[in-house]
Amino acid sequence: MRKSLIAALVAGAGLVAGLGIWAAGNAGGGSGQVKELTIYSGRSEEFIAPFFAQWEQESGIKLNIRYGDSAELAAQILEEGKNSPADLFLSQDAGSLGAVSAAGLFATLPESVGAKIGSQYVASDRSWIGVTGRARVFAYRPGSIEILPSSVSDLTKSEFKNRVGIAPSNASFQAFVTALISEQGEKFAKSWLEEMKKNGAKIFLKNSAIVEAIDKGEIDLGLVNHYYTWEVSEALGRKIQVENGFFAPGDLGNLINVSGAGVLATSEKFEAATELINFLTSESTQISFVEDTHEYSLITGIKSPEGLPELTEIGSPKVDLVVLEKVQRTQDLLTQVGLL
Amino acid sequence: MKSQNRFGSYGLRALVAGVLILISQPLLYLVIRASEKSGSDIVALLTRQKTFEVLGLTLALLCIVVFINVFLGTAIAAGLHYVRIPYPRALFVATIVPLAIPSYVFTYTWIALIPSLQGLWAAAFILVLSTMPYMLLAVSISFARIDSGLIEVARSLGLSKFAVFTRVILPQVRRSISAGALLSGLYVLSDFGAVSLLNVETLTVSIQNLFKSSYDRSAAAVIGLLLFLAAALFVSLESLVKGRDFESRGAEGFAQRIRRVNNLPLSILTTTVLAFYSLLAVVLPFYVLISRYLQNPSVVAASDLATAALSTISVAAMGAFIAFLLSLPLAFLITQGASAFVSISEKVTLMAHALPGVVVGLALVSFGSRLGPLYQSVFLLAFAYAVLFLAKSVASTSAALALVSPQLKEVAATLGKSKSSVTMQVVFPIALPNLALGVLLVFLTAMKELPATLMLRPTGMDTLATEIWSFAAISRFNEAAPYALLLVLIAAIPTFILTIPRNAKNEYAKNENEKKVRISQ
Amino acid sequence: MTSLSVSHLTVNFGSRTVISDLSFELSQGEIASLLGPSGCGKTTLLRAIAGLIQPTSGAIRFGSQLVGVSSVVLPPHKRGTGYVPQQGALFPHLTVAKNIAFGLDRNSHTKSEIAAITHEMIGLIGMKGMEERLPSQLSGGQQTRVALARALAIKPKLILLDEPFSALDAVLRDELRTEVVGLLRELGSTAILVTHDREEALVSSDRVILMRDGKVAQNGTPEEVYEAPISPEIAASTGDVLILPAQQSNTGATFFPLSREGAGSAGSETGYVVIRPEEIRVSTNADAGAEGTLIHIDYYGHDAMLTVSVAQSATPIRARVAGPADFTVGQKVYLQHLGPVRYFSRQ
Repeated sequence: MRKSLIAALVAGAGLVAGLGIWAAGNAGGGSGQVKELTIYSGRSEEFIAPFFAQWEQESGIKLNIRYGDSAELAAQILEEGKNSPADLFLSQDAGSLGAVSAAGLFATLPESVGAKIGSQYVASDRSWIGVTGRARVFAYRPGSIEILPSSVSDLTKSEFKNRVGIAPSNASFQAFVTALISEQGEKFAKSWLEEMKKNGAKIFLKNSAIVEAIDKGEIDLGLVNHYYTWEVSEALGRKIQVENGFFAPGDLGNLINVSGAGVLATSEKFEAATELINFLTSESTQISFVEDTHEYSLITGIKSPEGLPELTEIGSPKVDLVVLEKVQRTQDLLTQVGLL
Repeated sequence: MKSQNRFGSYGLRALVAGVLILISQPLLYLVIRASEKSGSDIVALLTRQKTFEVLGLTLALLCIVVFINVFLGTAIAAGLHYVRIPYPRALFVATIVPLAIPSYVFTYTWIALIPSLQGLWAAAFILVLSTMPYMLLAVSISFARIDSGLIEVARSLGLSKFAVFTRVILPQVRRSISAGALLSGLYVLSDFGAVSLLNVETLTVSIQNLFKSSYDRSAAAVIGLLLFLAAALFVSLESLVKGRDFESRGAEGFAQRIRRVNNLPLSILTTTVLAFYSLLAVVLPFYVLISRYLQNPSVVAASDLATAALSTISVAAMGAFIAFLLSLPLAFLITQGASAFVSISEKVTLMAHALPGVVVGLALVSFGSRLGPLYQSVFLLAFAYAVLFLAKSVASTSAALALVSPQLKEVAATLGKSKSSVTMQVVFPIALPNLALGVLLVFLTAMKELPATLMLRPTGMDTLATEIWSFAAISRFNEAAPYALLLVLIAAIPTFILTIPRNAKNEYAKNENEKKVRISQ
Repeated sequence: MTSLSVSHLTVNFGSRTVISDLSFELSQGEIASLLGPSGCGKTTLLRAIAGLIQPTSGAIRFGSQLVGVSSVVLPPHKRGTGYVPQQGALFPHLTVAKNIAFGLDRNSHTKSEIAAITHEMIGLIGMKGMEERLPSQLSGGQQTRVALARALAIKPKLILLDEPFSALDAVLRDELRTEVVGLLRELGSTAILVTHDREEALVSSDRVILMRDGKVAQNGTPEEVYEAPISPEIAASTGDVLILPAQQSNTGATFFPLSREGAGSAGSETGYVVIRPEEIRVSTNADAGAEGTLIHIDYYGHDAMLTVSVAQSATPIRARVAGPADFTVGQKVYLQHLGPVRYFSRQ
């Protein structure tokens, strides 16, 4: 009995040690020829993995990808600081990129990287490059609304009472409110939120839930990102009675947020990382984004996703994406108003 | 009795201190981060209305869940044990199975059933379903140990069955009721999955929101410290309510089969309650998982499922093993008798248990990223699990060790065995089954962990929990369902093992027939 | 095997004094009984000798080796004492054979030696064929025997038995006790047997140590302790007693209800006399002694206890008569005391 007990303990300890060493060995990178690249991706595996796989094949470099929520990954990178094992951070929204950039953890990217991306979708200090565009839209059920709204302010009017859905806890909505605060001032944003609440705006946890509700007829209109109608339709496996609509040109409801990428300053694989960025921003990849994940390409001239107007036609407001980093103020405001 | 081996006692204390330092690392992290804020900022943060609301909501949820667990849980356990019901073993297993279901999966399935489900009472409902099994397990084990002789004597003295329950049985299980209440309460404090999905902003959700929105980890840390204080308060309160320690008699005080109460209305009531509970906690979630998947069946690569399952099992097992090792010094110290040092150590361990996965995760990210290759290794993740669940391990290890009668240890000493030999040759072999159960419990809990796993897992490794999360994040519930089902099925195995009745008296009998015949010369 | 010496032992638990300035000695091969009421500290004394608790002051020596003082303590596993606790305490996870062999160190014995000793012990306790049984499959008596064998297997200097027979029924108890004592004598072991059964103490041992309130009340051979107790309380703890008021004159003559001298005269010292029921002869012959009326008979089979009321004594006299009792209640009987007159002055 005693012998087997000792044996079990030793075996257990050995297993623990062995696994640890093995795992540790796997993490290390060698100098010289770059064999591996570590990516923190806020873009979900379902959508981005095929692209990564393609690049892996073409470049011969193995990718270690850590999937997660953009904001959480950004916070993790901030916590890791100079010790972060990440080489590249691919984020779903500009706010997270801004946070990492503000902490000085990104390397500056030369002009040759992501050259084709429009300058308004690139950080002014070239710490990160936008990859795809995500337009704020209103989704609605065709036939249920006589006159489509031309401004977000319209939504506080009586004809939209109890018919609108929003997702205040969602990062994209918060990005929109952040832009609202930045452009129109906190007072304006606050009163708009309060009026939306008074007007019976229904609160949802997720954008997809809003689209599903429109389809079911529970609400008639909702503020979401442009690709959710497509996503929900895919998830349910059928066509849905929801379409995308845009506000008048220049209205903040048409905000275009971006997903983007930056290279960590502490990375020793700068070249390889920038090559990956170039791949993501190359024309062929961008076209694939449009076709496969239904997002907007940020290269001028490439067609928009099916059924959607061109990026230039939307009439998006001119917002410096840097301001999207200031989400805390937005969250406080939402809490004050009682939407969060 | 004073320990003869003074050095051994101090050595043990040094080990315990070492373990405490290790698990205090998240707390240290909170303090360091919080101190990056200025004093006035901290005060402003703590006194803003939002903080009061969050604190109030957290405490309200805590009280509701603990209250329901204590009363309803004890009643259900009593019914399971003492009332004549059909298939008592099956019903008992059914009430414990919810342990296999992570709270976020629970919540997802219930939201699928009732889309408008949200708010304080919804959260209380889900958390009661999630934590009731802890209470039931703790109390059931205690019920099984009660000496039936006492009950018979009480009955012969004229006490009604109800009086026997309240005056003889309850006082003896008081300690385990309070232990169950403690575990439930700490779980409520640290839970994130359920409350966030139900739109209830507890302290834990607030921590998460703060660090996600502002990337301001200091603010999150301040709230984290507030959470720690709430836990400390709760733990202290519980120890006041706990009542006196009854000397645990060890395996000698065994229980014979107790005759169940044969009262038809009571039996019907009990069975209905149990069936209803099983419906809510087991049947419906399973139904949703399976039907969701069948609604839009996706092709799931078996290899993905298998890899995720394997990773889940191996890391959780490592974590449980490390937790066990870390729990040994304190568990041994506890068996040597009460002292101020023991009491404080136990409390610190418990309070650390209240820290949510996100805090432990961040703390180990901060600390671990300096460790080079050890960072984002399986080992560090397992260590995170050990830190998160050490309290459970200490509780079960010390309970297992306490079952070994001190007399056996004394006799072994007189037979020439040094303290370490006594431990290896007497204590461990006898306590082994119960020690294994404790390891299983931590293993089970670790399999379901999400936030710390997301942050600390080796890049590229997925557990079943992270896979569920990543599909749910893009609303692909039908694709998440197979992973959720597999997780629950795998977790059901240790859960089932935990429900096997442990009869100390029969444990070492080789021959079923022989043990019944007591040969009198 | 060495002797045991306990000198001025005091054991305090917190503020409670359990053993107070206790001293006694045992020579090699002696079997001593430790007799006393519950709570007098017998078990504590045993545990202190075994090394399981630490004395507050005083010394314990095995032969010339100092094993226990408050500051210098030889741990229990180095003392070589055999300890048989009250309920046997067999290791539930080991077979009978493994239990017995538990104390045999693989460092000092070869495997075959261990097997030989185990075999010898099994034979000694008469349990051949039961080597592979588990404790849960044994009866109480069998468990006690195995516990004893386990303690003896290590050839201890001293063996300590804490009421090992208390859980057994009367017949088994007698048989087992005889066996065990016989075994101990055969092996020449020095032993201390803790008991609260006074007959057991008298019959099993060479020496009876009477304990009371943590102290040694009297220490002597069974005969000494029974026949010549140093106080009425001690007398009562070793057997049935009759305590009668008495007077002692300055000439040394003692007067008590059954004495030949009859009642005493004034001017004498008053006190008590302790006599034993078996010292009283009961006769139907009127000349035989003091007259009394038989008011009650307790029939024990091998003897009977008669309760007689006599004029000279307020308390009825209890007398033991052997064998079949031909007495009837209400009969007139005549009592005579034949035995030592143990006088204790009133103190």
